[in-house]
Order: sequence, then structure tokens, then C-alpha cells
Amino acid sequence: MDFKTGPLMYGLAAFVILFVIVQSVFFIAKAWKRGIEIGVPKEKLKQTVISSALFTIAPAISILATVLALASALGIVLPWIRLSVIGNLAYETVAAESALNVLGGSLSQEVTDKQQFSTIAWTMTIGSCFPLVLLPILCKKVHKAMGKAVSGNKIDEKLGDVLGAAAFIGIIAAFVSRAIAGVETNGVSAGVMSVSVLISAMIFTIALDYLCKKKSLKKLEAFVLPIAMFGAMGIAILISQTLPANIAEFTWR
Amino acid sequence: MKKDRNYTDKVHLWGSIWSISALAVLFSVPLIFSIANNTYPQLTVLFKALAAVVPIYWGTAIVEVITYTPLLGAGGTYLSFVTGNISNLKMPCAMNAMERADVKANSEEGEIISTISIGASAITTTLVIAVGVIAFAPLLPHITADGSVIKPAFQYVIPALFGALCASYLAKYWKLAIVPILIGVIVYIFSPTMPVGTMIFITIVVSLANGFAMYKLKLV
Repeated sequence: MDFKTGPLMYGLAAFVILFVIVQSVFFIAKAWKRGIEIGVPKEKLKQTVISSALFTIAPAISILATVLALASALGIVLPWIRLSVIGNLAYETVAAESALNVLGGSLSQEVTDKQQFSTIAWTMTIGSCFPLVLLPILCKKVHKAMGKAVSGNKIDEKLGDVLGAAAFIGIIAAFVSRAIAGVETNGVSAGVMSVSVLISAMIFTIALDYLCKKKSLKKLEAFVLPIAMFGAMGIAILISQTLPANIAEFTWR
Repeated sequence: MKKDRNYTDKVHLWGSIWSISALAVLFSVPLIFSIANNTYPQLTVLFKALAAVVPIYWGTAIVEVITYTPLLGAGGTYLSFVTGNISNLKMPCAMNAMERADVKANSEEGEIISTISIGASAITTTLVIAVGVIAFAPLLPHITADGSVIKPAFQYVIPALFGALCASYLAKYWKLAIVPILIGVIVYIFSPTMPVGTMIFITIVVSLANGFAMYKLKLV
């Protein structure tokens, strides 16, 4: 039995999922009751549940794709747990990859050592736990302060937007530049495949975004990212199947 | 009015209790695994790995709590931080719900709609992932085995993911992206095996400095 997908791990996953669902139901029930009290129509509350659930399906599939992507190295259960609590597409990949890099491995290889696995699990957990420490301390204060200064300062808001975007772009830039010019330890080197996949993912995204705007396909918007990602993954298969190996597997690092 | 204040105060109390419980649940996973298998992480390795991610994640956490709280309301904030995927899922979902319901984020109706929306989204995400995992788990060894036709797709999932993410960001902020990507490539040319955690630290610092400079120069 693989320790990564043993009964213990599945048991932990069930526990975590139960926790998330109970918490969500708790908050929905409290908000629902309060909504009725202050006269929000029941129909509006119902509509909110339905539209939010529908809105979520496509992004959830792309989160599932991350679970599957991490699964070849970490087994399916740990990524499943991590992406159900606090987890985030980019963060979990980065945390796992960072731990594996220190260990001299990479996400493209299966982790078979228990101690390595435990190190990765601890890295992912400690790395992502901080918001939960901050919330009880900060959330009420921020909420109250914002309540007082509702309109806020427009200039600072703009700078905040720019820096927020810049931080995220920083994370993306590291991965994009690695696909162009870097090497994963014991793993995939930058080459024909990595750049083709990167560029096709970009082209698919841009084309789909254009299609959404041009044909005003609002519903497609939520699907752009997962479709582009799967499309680019399909390109990787296409290249490996059609091009001669010396071209498809050519790397420059 | 008194009653309104009571509701928000109660949400903060419940939120704090749930956050601390979530912290316990979160840590129970590696802890129980370590105890059950009697394998604890090598501390030096753990510290090195954490050194790459903690400064960024924990720094981002502070910014995120301050940024999202006013937008998601109290209940929405507590819920979304436990389940994650805020910027790519919970936030747009709550915005969409508030717009459909025609309520403002800083009103009590907004607070209620946002909380219900994020709760429904969290449950849906959890179910989609659970169903997907259970359906795909038996197939997985075949998908990722050596020589499998599908294997390259999963080997290159990271360029696919970040390519797609990058393009959607480029559409909005392409001016902000040029410098950090360029610097990243140049650093990799000289140091191709640099761990990605270290690189992220470099590109984030470069990207923030670049963003700040461009804002001051009114280029964005």
C-alpha cells in the first residue's frame, strides 16, 4: 500500500472536507436567518446560492486539474487536502516545488520517501497557515476601520491595485521565465516542449478571451482558464506524438 | 441599529473561533501523518524550504487580509480564507452575486449575500474536487506511467497553468509584466538551476519595485 494514498490519508481528507462543509453550512445558515430578519427576499437568497454554485464549477475544475497535476509526485490525497483548505492553485504548487527543490527533487518525479513527503506536507501547511493566525487579530479591526472610511482614498486604492497585481505577476514571472530559460532539478528543462506549451496556453487564453468579448459569451468567461490549460496540455501530447523525438525533446538548458 | 452591530460582532466572534479551529484541522494533517508513520521532517530541509516561501506567503497574507476584508465583508472573509482560492474564485464569485442581487459590499445586505455566495462556492468547490478525485484516482497510475501517451500533458502542466494565468494578466497589466519576466529570464540564463522559490522572491521584489516606479511615473 502506497503511504501517500493509504487509509490514513483518506481519513484525514474526509475529516478536512467535513470541516469545510460544516463551516460553510454554519455561516450560510446564520446569514440566511439574518437576511430574512432584515427583510431580504427569500428568492434573492436562493438565487445567490444557485448562481454562486454554477459560477464555481469551472474554476473548481481547474483547481481539480492542479490536484491531478500535483498527484503524480505527491499522490492524490495530500494535494486534495491542501487545495480544500486555504489552498490556492499557485501557492500549493510553489510550496511543494520549493520543498522538493531543497531535497534535490522535482514535481515531475514521484516522492517515495516518507520523510520527504512529511517535509513537503509541513512546508505546505506552515507556508499557508498565516492568514488564519491573522484573521482573529486583524479582521475585526480592518472591517471597523473600513466601515468608518467607506469611500476611502482613491489614489491609494489605485496604488494598492497596482501593487496587488505586481505581486501576483512576480509569482507568474518566476514560472514563465523558468519555462523559457530554466531547469527543474532532475526534471524538465526549458526547451521546445516547455516553450510550446507556455505559448499555446497564452494563445488559447487570448483567443478565448477575445471570443468572449466579441460574441459577448459571458458564460464562457469562467471556462477560459481551464480550457486554455487543458488545450496546452493537449499540445504537449500532440508534439510528443507527431514531431521527431530529437525536435520534440530538444532542450537548450 | 443596535441589532445590526450585534450581528457583525457575532460574525467576528464566530469567525475567530472557526479560524482557530481551522488552524488546528490544518496542522492535524502533517502532524497525524508524522506521528502515525514516525517520520518527522528534517529540520534543516524544512527551514530552507520555508525560507523560500514564508516571506512571500506571510507578507501576502497581511496584504490579502487588509485588501479582501472590505470587499468580502466579515463572514465572507472568514469563510474564504479557510477555503482559499480567493482571487481566482471566491472574490469574483461574491462580486458577481452582489451585483446580481443589486446590493453594495459595505451594506448589511451585501454582507449577507457575500457570505451565502462564498459558502455556496466553498461547498461546490469541495464537492467538485472530491468527486473528481474519487473518479480519477483509479485512473491516475495509468495516466502518469512512463510511456503513457498522456504523460507529457502532465509533465508540462506548470507551463500550461502559468501560461494561461500569465495571458489573462497580460491582457490587463502587460506593462507591469515585461520587466519581471525579462529579469527572470536573464537570471535563469546565468543560473539555470536556481530553485523556483528563490526566483519568486527575486521576481516579486523586482515586480513590486517596477509597479511602484511605473505608478509614480504615471505609466500605469
